[in-house]
Parts: sequence; structure tokens; C-alpha cells
Amino acid sequence: MMVIDIAFLAASALLLLGNLALRIYGGKRHQFSYNIALLAILIVITLAEMQTTPAHTLFGVLSVNPFSLFFMLVFTAGMLAVNLLAYPYSEHYGDFAVLATFALAGMYILSLSNSLLTIFIGLELSSLPAIFMILLSRRSIEAATKFFIMASIAIALLSFAIVLFYGGTGTLSFGKAPSSSLLLFAVILFIASLGIDSSIFPFNLLIPDVYEGAPAYVTSMLGGLNKKVAFVALIQVLILLFIGYRSSFEFIAILSVITMFFGNIVAMMQKNLKRMLAYSSISQGGYILIGIATSTASGLSATLFQIFSHAFAFIGILGIVAWLESKNKTRIEDLAGLSEENRFAAFSLTLFMLAFVGLPFTTGFVGKFLLFLGAVNAGLAWLAVIGIINSVISIYYYARPIMSAYAGKNGARRISMPMAVYAATWAMLALTVVFGVYPQPIISIAHNAAAYLFSI
Amino acid sequence: MIPFLLIVPLIIAMALIGIIPSQSMPKYLALIASLASLGLLFLVPYGVYNLDWFTVGNTGIGISSSINPVSMLLLVVVLLVAPIVFLYSLGFMRKPSEQRRFYIEMLAFEAAMLVFAMSGNYITLFIAWEFLSLMSYLLIGFYHQREEASRAARKAITIVLLGDLAILAALVILWNATGSFSFAALPSNPVSLYAAASLLMIAIFTKSAQFPFQEWLPDAMEGPTPVSAFLHSATMVKAGIFALILLYPLFSAAHLLSVFLWVGIITVILSTLNASKEKQIKRVAAYSTVQELGLMMIAVSIGAITAGIYFFLMQSFYKSLIFFSAGAVMESSGEEDLEKTSGLGQNKLVYLTTLFGVLSLVGFVPFSGFFAAIGIGSSATSIPIYIFLSVIGFSTSFFMFRWLFMASKKSSNPKAERAYATIPRSMVIAMAILAILTLAGSVGFFYLPRFLNVQNFYLNGFLGSLHANFYDPIIETALAILGLLASYIVFVHNKKLYNSLIPIVYNSAAMNWLYSYFARLVYWFAEGVGSFDAYVNDSFDDIGKAIRLSGSGIRRFAVGDINLYVAVFSLALVAVLSYAFITGAL
Repeated sequence: MMVIDIAFLAASALLLLGNLALRIYGGKRHQFSYNIALLAILIVITLAEMQTTPAHTLFGVLSVNPFSLFFMLVFTAGMLAVNLLAYPYSEHYGDFAVLATFALAGMYILSLSNSLLTIFIGLELSSLPAIFMILLSRRSIEAATKFFIMASIAIALLSFAIVLFYGGTGTLSFGKAPSSSLLLFAVILFIASLGIDSSIFPFNLLIPDVYEGAPAYVTSMLGGLNKKVAFVALIQVLILLFIGYRSSFEFIAILSVITMFFGNIVAMMQKNLKRMLAYSSISQGGYILIGIATSTASGLSATLFQIFSHAFAFIGILGIVAWLESKNKTRIEDLAGLSEENRFAAFSLTLFMLAFVGLPFTTGFVGKFLLFLGAVNAGLAWLAVIGIINSVISIYYYARPIMSAYAGKNGARRISMPMAVYAATWAMLALTVVFGVYPQPIISIAHNAAAYLFSI
Repeated sequence: MIPFLLIVPLIIAMALIGIIPSQSMPKYLALIASLASLGLLFLVPYGVYNLDWFTVGNTGIGISSSINPVSMLLLVVVLLVAPIVFLYSLGFMRKPSEQRRFYIEMLAFEAAMLVFAMSGNYITLFIAWEFLSLMSYLLIGFYHQREEASRAARKAITIVLLGDLAILAALVILWNATGSFSFAALPSNPVSLYAAASLLMIAIFTKSAQFPFQEWLPDAMEGPTPVSAFLHSATMVKAGIFALILLYPLFSAAHLLSVFLWVGIITVILSTLNASKEKQIKRVAAYSTVQELGLMMIAVSIGAITAGIYFFLMQSFYKSLIFFSAGAVMESSGEEDLEKTSGLGQNKLVYLTTLFGVLSLVGFVPFSGFFAAIGIGSSATSIPIYIFLSVIGFSTSFFMFRWLFMASKKSSNPKAERAYATIPRSMVIAMAILAILTLAGSVGFFYLPRFLNVQNFYLNGFLGSLHANFYDPIIETALAILGLLASYIVFVHNKKLYNSLIPIVYNSAAMNWLYSYFARLVYWFAEGVGSFDAYVNDSFDDIGKAIRLSGSGIRRFAVGDINLYVAVFSLALVAVLSYAFITGAL
């Protein structure tokens, strides 16, 4: 164990314990500043660890490597932004922050996992707090119930899959699985159970209800982070255990196609902005699957880039949605006059939408471009072409909020945005544009992470 | 790097317009920025500049710019027309509330067009192409409160996106076959070559409004007049022709030039018929633009690249001029229908400049349009094409003079008369500058071949000559005068003849056959796009309708029935498992 690991563990422990203590003895504001400070420290530690340390294990169960560090970075930064969004809008920020810390711990465990056991613990620890986070808002009981049902189905299937895997191999740690039809059954169950949270069609049908019903700041976490957690688990399981199962990757390719089409086509019919974003995030999940289907390092690095890109663009746009929600604007047509009410909000909404479309000089373009190249490289040119078709038809619904936002409205008055939301939106916008213009650093670390996964 | 400096003033101006709240600044900022870019053009030398963007594995993705004589000429056109358009807009776009958006979008368009002109590999080409589509969409839908404007914008984006899709697919195919994004790399495998070249050809047809994609361009006239002049006649629609010239070796290797020729011919016939029939003042000009694009395509595909380039350059000036005067007529007389417009002759200066534009368009000596026409005519070595071009030349003269005569009828409306007298000075100056360029451009006819004669230019050997046979000027002038006379007799001298001719011209059996034959094809396509468009729009408007159509099952999804969800989930799981075991593959 190295110094930097100790620093990391100490900071994580401080985050957990400090939150609990401040929840009881401190005020909302103290807790907020404490959270932001510690999350920022954790980002710095993770970055430093990425630069300095080679891959190694902690206590024999947690594996520190480029892959896990990449995702810890994404999750920590995302959680910081989610905290910024929740602070002005959550009635119970104190409880929210404690739950969010637990969820973050689950995400860390999942990223660092080196066996199916830690994957299980990580997934549950990250998704169970989300149920209570939705419940903190009294209006969202239905969404919480639905999320609970989804999560229970996912847990049941996941444990079944793990049991099958243990039965087939006699171990729970990561390593290439021998081929047997029992294990093929396990792969399918893994995909189905993880497909619930990562919203792969047809396992995802309650996701839009949950995203729409939950308060926007929780949705930003569900779509921006929790969904990615499930993708991380899926990547680890498929690449580390089942790389020899060609059919499972063909299957992922098919799921990718139907997920993209489902998300895009249904998104066109939506009137509610948050629901449209839910379907849009489903179709973005379809692009993410393209890279997994290639089962090559270059395809996987494209997937990691796309996860990075979508996580921050999604949290960024949900910040604006949260702000609009607090002004009782939930439909797309309610956006009319936004450019006069708050020019920054209209501008950043436009940029995030264009990033989802994949306009050059946003991270969305680089991500999709890498995915299509990766697919062609792996001999899946047809998948790339379907991805291209989908990204073209998506322009239809992504353009609508932009048009609305710049439509005039009589008697529009300036409306200001809370400072925290403003900061979060700025940060997400900067990530989306800066790494869209200069993507090399993220491509490099994503490439290292993907290459590491294929090297063990 | 140096070529990309050209867009820096534009980006600075966009940022300033975005930041400064003043509503009177944007127009001047845009004008100054576009002039600054024009000034920077003198710093741009010939050559290739590569800029690494990012690398994945061993594939480097780079932005590249290549300045050669042809791209230089497109840069000159864009940079010259932009300040003139902004000058015209000073007087034309008077509503303060819409200025900021207008100028930001126009500047972004100009920047994208400049990058397109200098693009040196497929990546750069694609990025610029994508931005052009987006800006065109936003600018056509500029008055999006108007239902027709947003419908036209959606139609344009639907067709143009088809082209974007094709270009991206071609890019993937070419990269797969050659491992590079360079224009010079031709795939050795014939399937990739034909597939990529055909896809790029489709993209060119969509952007340059060629058959069967031409219907979006007349509809695009819903945008403000400066937009019609800048995007939809002088620069953006010619991106397709430019790409054809840029990728000429590829198309020539794939034997696609005859397709370009035939599509050009069909487009020219259809648009000429439409232009003679159309009544909306800007749409006539738009059909004429489609026709000119078709002529450029014909010229390039029969190997007369130099003549095509000359036409390409000169058309920018006189066509913008025609649009500018159409804008002036619409503003002053308050009418858009040629039957009702009147009084262009009231303002002598505007009338004179318009006359310059029309005379040049139909090809009178010594205007640049005359030289363009004889340049193409003398390169048409086959007799049928020569005859075809002559007939088209006559018809063009006929419908353009109809346009002029009908716009300059005596006005009986004193209000319009006053409006003509007070056309803002900036608009008149912009028109005068264009009129001068239209005349001065004639000199280019004698210098263009020398300008294009550069060492190591990839088009060397393809260029063709630019000359005139002794009989070409005579025939061209005769055709133009015949058209003028015919038009005068029908539309001015003998109104009765006009009324009796209408049924003959537009309802005669031969015309009907020809028209319905082609028109049905076009309308079939246009209706297809239209109904897809309407479908998408309807689903936007009314989610309930779409859901009801798809049956009660989906409706229950939409309200989130949990039992149904669990049932579907289990079914999906069973289906997946049986799939896995039936295929049995591990």
C-alpha cells in the first residue's frame, strides 16, 4: 500500500464520517461546503494516482488500475456536480448528501472491484441509496416505487447469474471463463440484469418513468452516474470473464441497434423535456454499446470516451432542467423565451443538445466518431452505419428545444439562476467543449484504461 | 495554421456580439469582421497545412487545409460577398430584436464556409459540411414564428441531412479501404470506390439542390433576403459544385461523370419550366439558381472545368444582385407575387443595378454572364448539348425579362412610390458594388486560365480550356435578344397575347406530358419528404395521436403499468435465452 492509497482511503473515510457527523451536528451549508471540498480533494488524489502509480491491489479485494481510476475520476467529478445541483433544490439536502456519499462509495467499490462479489456489493450500494434519494421528494413516491421494483429484479437476476457463474467455474474472482452452456445462461442473465440500470432495450421500460418522476437533480445522478455504473459492471463482466463468448458480443451488437432505434424514435414523440432526455439517454446508451460489441481495445476506449462525454453533458443539461423545474417549466414548449429570460441557460442548453447530436468540437462528436471508427476497425461497419443513421435522425428532436429556447415570448423577464447551478453548468459546459476541441488527454487515459482491461 | 486565421475575426465578432448587450453594435461588428477577414486573405499562401487533432491507437485524426487556385477562388467569392451582404443587411434587417441572432448565425455560416473552402481532407470537409447544414437550417427557419418558414427549414434539413449521412458513410468506407482521410487516396478496390463515390455524389446533389433533391431550395426562400442571397445563391448551394471539382479525380475514376451530366440536364429542364411558371418573386430567382447549378454541373461533367469555375464565380455576383433587388421590391411594394409587384422603375439607381444583374444573367455583352455562357457553349463539343444549352439560354432570357418587366410595372400605389424613394442607402450601395463587380468580372475571362495554371496542382490535366469560337458570341447575343423580344411581346406589348398564350405554354399536350412525366417523379420524392416531415411534426405536436395509432399496448407503457413492465421483461428474457440456445453459438 502506498502513501497515495492511504490518502485516498483517508479522504473517502472522512467524506463518509464527516457527512454523518455534520448531518447530526452541523447545518446544511457546512455539509455542502465540506462535501465540495472533499470531493475536490478526491479528484486531485485520483488524478495524482493516475499519474504516478502502477496497477496494484488493496487488501486483496480492490484493484487499483487505469480502468478503475478513469471511472473513479468520472464518478467523483459527476458527484460533485450533482451536489451543486441538489443544494439549492433539495428540501432535505443533509440526507441527500449522506445518501449520495454512500452511493459514491458503491461506485468506488464497483470501479475497483476484482471479483463478482465486489461488483455485487458496489452495484447495490450505488443503487439502493438512489431509491431513498428519490423518496426525499414527497411527490416522487411513484417513481421511487418503480425504481425499487427495477432494482429488485436486477438484484435477483444478478445474484442468480453470479451463482451460476460460481457453479460453472468454482470461483468468484475475475478470470476468463471456460465455455459451457451453463455459463452462456449466466452471460445472458448478466446482460439482462445490468441492462435494467444501463437502460438497454427491452429491459429498460420503466427507466423513463423513473427519470421523469424523480426530481431533476436526482435524475442527473441516475442518468449521469448510476447508469454508467451498470455499464462499468457490464464491461468488466463481458471483457474480463466472457471475452471468449463471441455470441455474447454479437448479442450486444443487436441490443445496441434496437436500443438506439427505440430511444431515438420514442424521444421524437415526447413533449416533456425530462422524458425526452430520458429516451435520448437510452439511445446514447445504444452508442455506448457499439464500443463494447467490438470487443477490441480501440472500440472500448471509444466507449469510455462516450461514457465520459454523456455523463457530463447529461448532468449539465439536467442542471438547467432542475432550474426550469423550479420555475414550473417542464414541457419543451415552456422553453419559449428562455433566451430572453436567461441567455446563459439558453446558450448552454443549445451546446449540450448539440453535444448529444455529435456536433464537431464537442465531446459528443469525438465520442461518436471514435465509436464509428472502432466499429469499422473491428469489422462491424454495418453497426457504424446504423449508428450514423441514428445520430442523424436524432437531430430532429434535439433541435426542438433549441428552436423553442430561441423563440420569442411576450413579457419575458430576466430570471437568474442559483449560484451553485450556474457553477455546475459552467463546469460541465467547459468539460464538454474543452475536451471536444482538445480531446487528446481523455483519449489517452481512456485508451490506457481499455488497453489495461485487455492486458489482464 | 495560417489559412485558419481567416476565421479568427469572425469568431471574435461572434463572441463580442454575444457579450455586448447593445443592439446597434452587431451589424457594424459583423461588417468590420468580414472586412478584416477579407484583408487577411492577402496573407494566405498556396500550400497544405496539417494540424493534428487527436490520435487513437495509430490513427491520427487531423484537420487539414489546402489552398490551391480553386479554393482560393471560392475564398475570394465568400470573402467578397460577405461584406456586401452585411452592408445590405444594415438597411434590410431593421428590427433590433432579431439582429443579434441574425448576425451571429451569419458570421458562423461565413466561418464554416471559409473552412469548407480551404478543407484539405475528408474530416475537415465533413465538419464544415455539417456546420453549413446546421447554419442553413437555422437561417431558413429564422422567422420560425411563421409556420411556412419552420416547415421549409425542416424540409431543407431533412434533405441535407441525407447528404450528411451519405458523406459520413463515404468517409467510413474510404477510411476502411485506404486507411487515410486524404482526398488523394483512391481506393483500389472497385466496390469501395463506387460505393464511396456514389455516396459523395448523393451528398453533392442534396447540397446543390439537384434532381431529385431540388425542391428544398425554392422553399428555403422563406429565410430573410440577405440569407437567400448569401447562402442560397452565392455560396452554400455551390458547396456541392465545389466538392465535385475538388473530388474530380475520384468521380472520374469511378466513371460517374455521365451521371452528373444527366442529372444536371434533368435539373436544368425542370427548373427552367418551373421558373417560367412560378409567380413568387424570390422563388423565380431560386429556380433560376437551381438551373444555374445544373448548368455548372453539366459544364464540369463534360470536362469544361475552367468554364464551370468561371461561371461559378460570376454567378455569385449577379445572382446576389438579383436577390437584393427582389428584397428591395418586396420591401417597397409590400407584395411578393409578380402579378402584383410594381414600381421597380421608380428608383432609378436600383432599377439600373437590377438591369445590370438581369442583363448579365441572360448573357448580354459585355457583362460577365455573357462570357460565362460562351465559355460553356464553346466547350460543348457535342451538337445535342450545344442545342440544349442554346434552348436553355433563350428560355432563361425569356423568364428573367418576364421577372424584370413584371417587377417594374407602373405602380398606382403612392405609398409604394414613397417606399421606393426611401430605400436605405446601404442597400443601394451594396447593389451598386455588385453591379460593378458583375461588369468588372468580365475581365476575369481572359485571366482565369493563367490563374489556374499552377505547378503541382492536382487538377492539371483535367482543367479544359476557356475560349470562344467565333460564332458563339453571335449565337449567344441572338438568343438573349430573342428572349428579350419574346418576353417583351408577351408581357409588356401585348397583354392579350399573354393571356391567350398562358394556356398554350402551360397546358399544351407536349408540355403537359413533359412536365407531368418529370414532375411526378419530383413530387413523388418531395411528397415523400413532406409526409415524413409532416409525420415527424405531427408526432411532435400530438403525442396522444401517435400513441393511439400504435394501439393500446403502447399507451399502457406510456403510463408505466408495472405489471406490464414485468411481463414484457420476462418475455424479453425468455426470448433472449431461447435465441442464445437455439443459435447455440458460444
